[in-house]
Amino acid sequence: MNQSYTLPKNKFDQFFEILKSDAQVFAPVKVSDKSYSFKQVTSHHQIAFEALRTILPPKKFFYPPVETIITYDKDGAVEHNEAIEYKVIFGVHPCDLAGLGIMDTIFAAGPADSHYLQRRAACLIVGLSCMPDKHCFCQSMGTDCAESGYDLFLTDIDDDYLLEARTAAGQAMLERVVKLISKATDSDQKRASDFWQKRSKAFTNGFECLNLRSLMEQEADNKIWKELGDRCLSCGNCTPVCPTCYCFDLVDIASLDGETGQRQRQWDSCQLTGFATVGGDFNFRPTPVDRLKFWYQHKLHGFEDPYGFKTCVGCGRCTESCPSGIDDIVNVVKGLQIEREAN
Amino acid sequence: MQKLETPYLSQKATLISCVEMAKDNFLFEFEENKGTLSSCMPGQFVELWLPGVGEAPISVCSGKVDNKLQLLVRKVGRVTSALFDLKPGAWVGLRGPYGHGFPVDIYKGKDVCMIAGGLGVAPLRSLWQYLLEHRDDYGKLILIYGMRHCEEILFHDEINALMELPDIEVYLAAEDANVCLLPHIPMEAGRVTDLLDHLDISPDMQFAVCGPPVMYRFVVDNLAHKNVKDKNIWLSLERHMKCGFGKCGHCYIGGHFTCKEGPVFDLPALKTMSEVIEVGTGKQ
Repeated sequence: MNQSYTLPKNKFDQFFEILKSDAQVFAPVKVSDKSYSFKQVTSHHQIAFEALRTILPPKKFFYPPVETIITYDKDGAVEHNEAIEYKVIFGVHPCDLAGLGIMDTIFAAGPADSHYLQRRAACLIVGLSCMPDKHCFCQSMGTDCAESGYDLFLTDIDDDYLLEARTAAGQAMLERVVKLISKATDSDQKRASDFWQKRSKAFTNGFECLNLRSLMEQEADNKIWKELGDRCLSCGNCTPVCPTCYCFDLVDIASLDGETGQRQRQWDSCQLTGFATVGGDFNFRPTPVDRLKFWYQHKLHGFEDPYGFKTCVGCGRCTESCPSGIDDIVNVVKGLQIEREAN
Repeated sequence: MQKLETPYLSQKATLISCVEMAKDNFLFEFEENKGTLSSCMPGQFVELWLPGVGEAPISVCSGKVDNKLQLLVRKVGRVTSALFDLKPGAWVGLRGPYGHGFPVDIYKGKDVCMIAGGLGVAPLRSLWQYLLEHRDDYGKLILIYGMRHCEEILFHDEINALMELPDIEVYLAAEDANVCLLPHIPMEAGRVTDLLDHLDISPDMQFAVCGPPVMYRFVVDNLAHKNVKDKNIWLSLERHMKCGFGKCGHCYIGGHFTCKEGPVFDLPALKTMSEVIEVGTGKQ
């Protein structure tokens, strides 16, 4: 087990100053009555420690909604290299850490996506514990405890934080803040353990995460899908907010001079009408039912790929952002499970 | 740490020639001098990039790729239409080859029957050229090629020449075979399944199938009636492979990346995959 340390909350301001001494720090900031966003912060007062889910997950730092990957002129094309600034991403909760772990696996698989990996390598991730609200169901998805994807993790234990390093970069940061922290005592460890137990009992949302693949296969023709499809607006809101939705389009942006331009990668969504269309306008997933079911399959049991993991981390963003209230993963799964038991 | 290179950058290639095969169907030949595409096998595809327009995944239709490769392109979308405006000498981007093509190693020592429908003849041309190049490794070779109208025939001269060869049996069918093609080429009125019914099909024969989605179910049913084992039937699927190597998500089909695991799958694999409308595990 890694050595844990205790950081008194009244020294957090100094901790923050060290974090930002040679890097831009990004953390959840309150941007409206009910919403939070990861933004650059220059003072610890700007950090919304109470934030649960930000509008967009931290994937946006490594995989931006739009990025130039290639530029060209009349003679040829070259890779577009932008200067990557080292960043600290503070306040990432366990569900989002699990999401980053999934994104890392996808983009690192050969041929590796250099654009994502270079940004990912130039950051320090500081995780932060949280208490679930009515939309959180990370416990069901098994992503409620941070196991990887972070360099440092802070567990809120009343007047202190319990601080743990996971990586060499996290360890190096601990050495920089050594004057602010002390080795965690048994009592600190007990407080942290009590916190996680209390948190485990605080979940009000969730389902029994068993046999989701066979459930989805057996209930593939369930009337629930038609009901959801009839209400789906195909707006695609559920995918940019998802910590693990990584589908993209590659598009050319030509300059007006007709000779130069750039090739961009832009986030795409499997929920948009034309996502699975091929030349000649043949659409392999023409209805909202086809598209929704596809998304649910990917989230609940993953694909038949070598990774074999579920790609839902239970953050609840899709539920909160769906204008039709149909990306309610918990209630959809529960509904299918009830039907299964009844049959 | 060594800097990673982007996998999305194409190799520069030059358009050498474009030859009309049928209305809106041209055979384009490109030259790429770095040899990055030379490992291309029959049934694999490349991403063709027209700067300022975009990329399209196109099956390679030459059996042997060195520094030159041929693509048969139908004018159907933005990228393909723009390609028709290019003049020889223009540069394009090519990257690949991607995916798994036809299993030429599994075909070794066996009779191989190629069934093409419409534009599906393009990837199969890479296969017949490859099989003929390595003729001694294979048993009897059959090409069955169906189209809607006989004037839509692609590779007319090449197929005419194949018909003269003792190495391969060629059968053609068109739903509308009334127009006289010059030079004449013998063609039945009907579909590929009608041709199959007239042939002596052995259950142990290997099959390579490529055509429009609607053709697959009829071919698969027909072969099932002839007791052909599912594992001997290989079908090439069309999906929109935008990145080509399992990142962008566009070609997912029943949980599989068409670009990485396909585009050629065997029938047992397709039967376990949802969303494969070609063999009826998905709806359309």
